[in-house]
Amino acid sequence: MSRPLVPSNPLLRSLLQQARPRQQPQPQPQPQPQQQQCRRRLLSSTTRAQAPTTATATLLFSPATRSPRQTPKTSGAEQRRYKSKTVEEQRSRYRTGPFSWKAGLLFVAAGCGLAWYFEHEKQRMQRRRVAEATKGVGRPKVGGEFELVDQDGKVFSSADLRGRYSLVYFGFTHCPDICPEELDKMARMFDLVEAEKPGAVTPVFITCDPARDDPKILKTYLAEFHPAFIGLTGTYEQVRDVCKAYRVYFSTPKDVKPGQDYLVDHSIYFYLMDPEGDFVEALGRQHSPDQAAKVILDHVKDWKK
Amino acid sequence: MGILGGWFASDDEKRKEEVRSGARAPDRTERKQCWEARDGFYRCLDKHDVTDSLNGEGKKTADKHCAAENQAFEQNCATAWVTYFKKYRVADLQKKQMLARLEKEGANKVQGDMPIGMAKR
Repeated sequence: MSRPLVPSNPLLRSLLQQARPRQQPQPQPQPQPQQQQCRRRLLSSTTRAQAPTTATATLLFSPATRSPRQTPKTSGAEQRRYKSKTVEEQRSRYRTGPFSWKAGLLFVAAGCGLAWYFEHEKQRMQRRRVAEATKGVGRPKVGGEFELVDQDGKVFSSADLRGRYSLVYFGFTHCPDICPEELDKMARMFDLVEAEKPGAVTPVFITCDPARDDPKILKTYLAEFHPAFIGLTGTYEQVRDVCKAYRVYFSTPKDVKPGQDYLVDHSIYFYLMDPEGDFVEALGRQHSPDQAAKVILDHVKDWKK
Repeated sequence: MGILGGWFASDDEKRKEEVRSGARAPDRTERKQCWEARDGFYRCLDKHDVTDSLNGEGKKTADKHCAAENQAFEQNCATAWVTYFKKYRVADLQKKQMLARLEKEGANKVQGDMPIGMAKR
């Protein structure tokens, strides 16, 4: 019934036999230290006895021990021979403790690796927080739907920007100094981004001055900065609405007499928008083209969809 | 040739006039010319220690000593730009003085540019 559970007698016997030979060698090393201790005691007694008495005393004991002069040293090494092979090795181990240069290197490398990883993750989370600050319900909304006309006179809407990041800048062609500088900067950062992630970002220039900036003027104006720039204009209402959606301060006079010269107040930020048309981050005058390109590329690389 | 040269000159002059009146936006070279003329005017004002060349004593000094530079400035820039740059000079110097004063009073400098970038441009 329960036969398979009970081990047979021959099996038990064989197991015991196997176990015995293993136990046997163990007592062997034990006598050795005892012997050595005896030997040392003998040696110490001989050295003590040696000083006042004659050399015959040493001769009596010398056959039992090996060479009498070397024994104090070798016996010390023999006691610890399970750990180290030479005295030098033992000494160095004693000096450095359990730490070697390999252990130290491993420690430092692991530390650096972890520090880098945590810093990297922290920055990623920071970017994600920035990127998602305008997502979801009840968040301030920057950007939105619009319908304008591009530099070739074709209708261009916010739907045309979906699927890619976009870098949006507001300005006007009669802008005295900041816009041209910023557009040159935008061209440089766009080239930097394009070099690493081709086609990841659409550069867009939206005029705040629709009365003077028609598609043709925008085309010649933007061609001086970058051939890839998309210039958008529209009616006064369309432009006012897109400025409002992007929270751009807009002060363009509504009824301008032909030939009347005026300047326009406007915000001077680059708006980075994600492929879903949500605002990610504003890049300002304080960012160099390289810094701005890095910010954009980091966000582009974060995007997984 | 003379007729052709004259026609070219008048065309160029017409374009410049359009830029000055604000009917046409200046291109890259025209902007550069304007900025250079502006800097020349600014240098003259610096030499005569004038900040505001639009009002009061400053205007008198500028009219007296920097008339040539002013003319070149007005020649190469849109009229709206000339006024803008003259006003901007005052605002910019005031801003710098203010920052210097605040720094002397021990104010903490905030990283980066102004939190909200606005410019009359």
